Amino acid sequence: MASALTPQGSVRQRNVPGSAKNNKDGAASDVEIDRVIVKKPSKSKLVAKPAAKPAAKASERDYQIVGFFITAAAFLTRFWGISHPNEVVFDEVHFGKFASYYLQRTYFFDVHPPLGKLLFAFMGWLVGYDGHFHFDNIGDNYIDNKVPYVAFRSLPAILGALTVSVVYLIMWESGYSLPACIIAAGLVLLDNAHIGQTRLILLDATLVFAMACSLLFYIKFYKLRHEPFSRKWWKWLILTGFALSCDMSVKYVGLFAFVAIGSAVIIDLWDLLDIKRPGGALSLPDFGKHFAARAFGLIILPFLFYLFWFQVHFAILTRSGPGDDFMTPEFQETLSDNLMLSNAVTVNYYDSITLRHKETKTYLHSHADRYPLRYDDGRVSSQGQQVTGYPFNDTNNYWQILPVVDDQKMGHAVKNNELVRLRHLVTDTILLSHDVASPYYPTNQEFTTCSITDAYGDRAADTLFEIRIENGKPGQEFKSISSHFKLIHNPSKVAMWTHTTPLPEWGHKQQEINGNKQLAPSSNVWFVEDLPSVPADDKRREKEERKVKTLPFLVKWFELQRSMFWHNNQLTSSHPYASHPYQWPFLLRGVSFWTQNDTRQQIYFVGNPIGWWLTSSVLAIYAGIILADQFSLRRGIDALDHRSRSRLYNSTGFFFLAWATHYLPFFVMGRQLFLHHYLPAHLASALVTGAIVEFIFSVDSGDSEAVTKKPAADKRHVTARERFAGQSMVGAWVAVLVIFAILGAGWYFFLPLTYGYPGLTVEQVVRRKWLGYDLHFAK
Amino acid sequence: MAAVVDTHAVASGFDAGDAARRRNNVAGAPQPAVVKPVEAEDKTKAKKAPSFLQVLDQWEWLIVPILVTAVSFFTRFYKIGLSPIVTWDEAHFGKFGSHYLKREFYFDVHPPAGKLLVGLSGYLAGYNGSFEFKSGETYPEEINYTFMRQFNAFWGAVCVPMAYWTAKELNLRRPAVWFVTLMVLCENSYTTISRFILLDSMLLFGTVATTLCWAKFHGQRKRAFEPAWFLWLFMTGLSIGFVCSVKLVGLFVTSLVGLYTIEDLWRKFGDTKIPIPELAAHVVTRVIGLIILPILIYMLSFAIHFAVLTNSGPGDAQMSSLFQANLKGTEVGRDSPLEVALGSRVTIKNMGYGGGLLHSHVQTYPEGSGQQQVTCYHHKDANNDWFFYPNRKDTDLDIEAEPRFIGDGQTIRLIHMQTGRNLHSHEISAPVTKADKEVSSYGNLTVGDEKDHWKIEVISDAASRDRTKIRTLTTAFRLRHEVLGCYLRAGNVNLPQWGFKQIEVTCTKDNKPRDQYTHWNIESHVNEKLPPGDPGQYKSPFLNDFIHLNVAMMTSNNALVPDPDKQDDLASQWWQWPLLHVGLRMCSWDDKIVKYFLLGNPLVYWGSTAGLGVFGLLVVWYTLRWQRGFRELSDDDVDRIHYAGIYPVIGWFLHYLPFVVMARVTYVHHYYPALYFAILVLGFLADWFLSPLRKSIQYGAYTVLDVVTIGLYIFFLPICWGMVGPNKDYSYMKWFDNWKMSDA
Repeated sequence: MASALTPQGSVRQRNVPGSAKNNKDGAASDVEIDRVIVKKPSKSKLVAKPAAKPAAKASERDYQIVGFFITAAAFLTRFWGISHPNEVVFDEVHFGKFASYYLQRTYFFDVHPPLGKLLFAFMGWLVGYDGHFHFDNIGDNYIDNKVPYVAFRSLPAILGALTVSVVYLIMWESGYSLPACIIAAGLVLLDNAHIGQTRLILLDATLVFAMACSLLFYIKFYKLRHEPFSRKWWKWLILTGFALSCDMSVKYVGLFAFVAIGSAVIIDLWDLLDIKRPGGALSLPDFGKHFAARAFGLIILPFLFYLFWFQVHFAILTRSGPGDDFMTPEFQETLSDNLMLSNAVTVNYYDSITLRHKETKTYLHSHADRYPLRYDDGRVSSQGQQVTGYPFNDTNNYWQILPVVDDQKMGHAVKNNELVRLRHLVTDTILLSHDVASPYYPTNQEFTTCSITDAYGDRAADTLFEIRIENGKPGQEFKSISSHFKLIHNPSKVAMWTHTTPLPEWGHKQQEINGNKQLAPSSNVWFVEDLPSVPADDKRREKEERKVKTLPFLVKWFELQRSMFWHNNQLTSSHPYASHPYQWPFLLRGVSFWTQNDTRQQIYFVGNPIGWWLTSSVLAIYAGIILADQFSLRRGIDALDHRSRSRLYNSTGFFFLAWATHYLPFFVMGRQLFLHHYLPAHLASALVTGAIVEFIFSVDSGDSEAVTKKPAADKRHVTARERFAGQSMVGAWVAVLVIFAILGAGWYFFLPLTYGYPGLTVEQVVRRKWLGYDLHFAK
Repeated sequence: MAAVVDTHAVASGFDAGDAARRRNNVAGAPQPAVVKPVEAEDKTKAKKAPSFLQVLDQWEWLIVPILVTAVSFFTRFYKIGLSPIVTWDEAHFGKFGSHYLKREFYFDVHPPAGKLLVGLSGYLAGYNGSFEFKSGETYPEEINYTFMRQFNAFWGAVCVPMAYWTAKELNLRRPAVWFVTLMVLCENSYTTISRFILLDSMLLFGTVATTLCWAKFHGQRKRAFEPAWFLWLFMTGLSIGFVCSVKLVGLFVTSLVGLYTIEDLWRKFGDTKIPIPELAAHVVTRVIGLIILPILIYMLSFAIHFAVLTNSGPGDAQMSSLFQANLKGTEVGRDSPLEVALGSRVTIKNMGYGGGLLHSHVQTYPEGSGQQQVTCYHHKDANNDWFFYPNRKDTDLDIEAEPRFIGDGQTIRLIHMQTGRNLHSHEISAPVTKADKEVSSYGNLTVGDEKDHWKIEVISDAASRDRTKIRTLTTAFRLRHEVLGCYLRAGNVNLPQWGFKQIEVTCTKDNKPRDQYTHWNIESHVNEKLPPGDPGQYKSPFLNDFIHLNVAMMTSNNALVPDPDKQDDLASQWWQWPLLHVGLRMCSWDDKIVKYFLLGNPLVYWGSTAGLGVFGLLVVWYTLRWQRGFRELSDDDVDRIHYAGIYPVIGWFLHYLPFVVMARVTYVHHYYPALYFAILVLGFLADWFLSPLRKSIQYGAYTVLDVVTIGLYIFFLPICWGMVGPNKDYSYMKWFDNWKMSDA
């Protein structure tokens, strides 16, 4: 039993006392410990290995039975009342909508990678839903809108339920005793946050499930380290990579799992490199093979999978849709039914056009009123004719585009980088900018107009503007709709710009137009919306059915990826229920998902406080144990037997590492964060809790005996049963009962907030405001 | 040598021509280069020509430091007064120095030591503090700005010999020590930044001195508890205290020493042969030397700060009302009536650390109610004035009648003097602290409701036990909203830009009587019907003021946003610094002005940045080799990598990474302390790779490195000593478009 793991266990066993004596130079002993085994020693079930002894098989019967019941309970807790509420809840607004877009194949944009949303779309496709409903508001009714929402919700519910089983399997595979497995799984099973988040159309169920699977698969893989490059070894390696890839393809926080597994892999590789490795030194080519296999299985393959989901994404979304605006015109031309393709008309000189600002959707407008001589802040204007932004159609939005030399030649197309003048048709004046401060921005230039005589006389230079098409090539034709451009004032090199602060009464509350010295910002972009001078049935508007263009996949992917990262970084606005990472382990704050006034029902996303406080305090206990052990080792006092220590550092340490890598990075993240970001870390903390409960209730008596009894080396992992042979597990079982009882109580108490049913009286709500949770209906 | 420097300065002081400066360069800077090869050769030829060279060799420890110090003083002092205008941040620090001379209380985000020294330099120069130090202005006749600059340059100049001693203490071999010294000496950015009235030369001095003391202390590790060991321990503490009192960036080098101490103690902790009392003595001496001593010095700098600044000035509002009342020339507490009555015009001060005055302005909340904003603000203006008014159920205010005093438990209204609106709160979440209620200004004398009512709850009164009256300055009270039952609070949370980064004022439901951010006091009080009193006779304790000022510094440091007055293109980003991607124009680029450009020596920058990467590879290489069973490093080698390599690298990270994460505006000079550590790493690498080679190759390599360093330094010297005439004349230095020393 003692033994850890492997035939070489005994060899190592002998080494350790030696190094313990050496302890003075503590660094050596630390390294020794790290090196012993990265993690995950023993475990029982030798999956389907024929060599497994019948006795061992029998010993697993109880694990199997308990596992079955836990899984059943998990499905029960996730599916119970899943049809309630029959309204759109919280972020279902987004993810339900995205599923609809997939089903309608219209292009949309989101900051998360596609896999999680694709799965929902797949679910909808299975039940034959056509995606007609767009999940516009929280509280919209599903029944009225005929949405198969139960099918949608059952996907996360299934994954959420299986997550519990995976947690159980992780503990089992890692060789923990039955009580430890039950506690870890129970903490997830009876956790209101996991339940709440996995019964709704949200991505986190998929994310957490993939994260748990990656841990499980890596443990499986690691246990096969004595049969490297075997078929099964490859299988679990690739499955680990696949799970990691799924994790990352749902949300980018999945990258944290890469860090967790990656750290374990690096430690493992470090040991493989060791010249004094217990199994005999590896030659460098052999080590290279190990390294290459892991790089292939854990980096290259996952990345290819990740790209694959984007390929699926592009393959499905072939029609133009709400996401078009996030992409470049080149990209948009790859989508069918695209406004750009059907309506783009080449602009010729002497056409009249309407110009629209891309960001604020306002038209370039002018009217006979003039700028006031003096503004409120005392600055003076040119008193020229006002040029403003106006959001509605109006003949005052019509501008005629004139060449530099007024030659009256018709039919010439305007080209990129050409200089033009814009004539305001209604007032017969020419657009102009000059070195006069704009009404609101002392640093920006005023835009106004001047008479035609001036425009060809004194002010000739000031009326010249350059058409600069975004990503345009020299000589490219200037088109309506599809050509996004900046209008650069030629002498002063300022870009025509506008913003949403309305002008005072004198400007009829319309938008200010001014010249921005910063040319780069995308807020300078305009496009020609229409050509009113070209009749609707004109030949120029006729388009032969053009083929949808294609772009290479990698080009599309790269563009989308950049756009996603950029927009992800922009998500810094505050949200009333956003929280700070330091609040999560203490469960200081939840998120209000949904409320219904007449029935006083609400869904408030919050964990099971008892479970969260238990796991968080156990994390502290774990850190305390490790610190105490390090300090006493440093003074030459060895309080733990080799096996307990190795389990504590390697197996439990791996769980702790998973917790830390899924939690700490949030502290440096700038974007808005919510409690549900802690779910993967919470799962890892549940694993640590199971392990520590076992550690506390199984303080070993005699391992010397164990060492001598060590079975002759076969490459079998020691089961928990063997480890604890002859030891009383009563304490551990009592702990299970107590923990389960209070967990169950906490779960039941917060159940109305998680399932949104039944409604609560004021007094009942107030009783649940444990840490001042901002619940509704508290009065 | 000083005399020599003087002659140079005088000789060409009026002639700022290009040629003259070049000639001087030739005369001054290359001296070490001339000497070094001689000394380098000296070893190889030692046998042939023993006596003289042997003497040189024997006295190297003295000759070289004196020599480099002399050159360093020359390069830092030469023509230092050439530009008679206020250059770059001299505008700030010169102004702060003036405040010390005028003894006017001011507020700034940096601790006071550096600015105190600037003030001292002004005092020594006989300057009376009357100049405003407006950026770009010409210094008036009576200011001896040259002396003030020299005083600052002194700190920058002494970094060079300290770098020499540090490298030596880290066991680098002689040519590597010289190389390190030369890199610090011939660093254009160090030269330039040291030549103006700025804090950076002192910061650099503090960082270099701390590193030196740490290395010296480390060198004494085998002689614990001996006098020299104590000396360097306390010197380390002293320099930590100094550098942290100049700029809080000093905390980074402090953490380096902290990490070293932790490792050292952990090592000793594992040595079971050390008796427990000795172990305890190690811990206690370090706590005293490296924690308590620096804190005392830091506090001392504030004590001097408070002792000097006894007059009222622009920074008053950052401090508690009681503190202000004790400044000379303040309005606060002077002749203001003691007891507050209805109809009194007051300003109301938040008593939390860093608290401001209750403020309102016509701008409205962009979200929530859309009503007029209420904030806390440190600047004193009329928008901080409020009237005490009776509540709406009470009899109206009668200006003719006897004043009615306000006391504990009374319900009142507060009316904003400028806009006539009532202090108001309602069931709407506050803009930032969502859990609290929004506080706004609403209605007017007649329009309004009970939500304008606030009940006064007296917490304490330093002057009296009588709670039936509110007293100016001394009474601490809370304001409880009558309808919502919440308390007026300003918790040092800054509003976004729409609120001008002022402090958010909210109404909190938590009834925590000890929460100082809900405590308010009356600061200024005007009521013509009441007799003037002198409420400011109570002193606030030093510790209170100290904490108060520090909290205020932290909060406003957080609010540091791009200054619209400064040109945008001055700021740069962290990734640009190690690559020497940009420089910085320190003044306007007019042809008539002497122009200074902040840019480093390319060899030093690029070399040290590359060195960091090479060092990383070196460590990885030897670690992997070690794991494969190669035992090729001696204990000495490992020690050298550890202390002369890894610790400087950690120092570099500590001084660099915070600027990567920090969201505030950053400038090139933020990299200078980090650069020093990168230089040490490069010196280590030179030592590591060159010393095993044959002597001839070794000396050849060092000669090349040294000559190139000196050559580039001289090449770029005009940007440090001032570029006179049209900037196009200097386009020869413009290797890249981003090096904007010339518009050409």
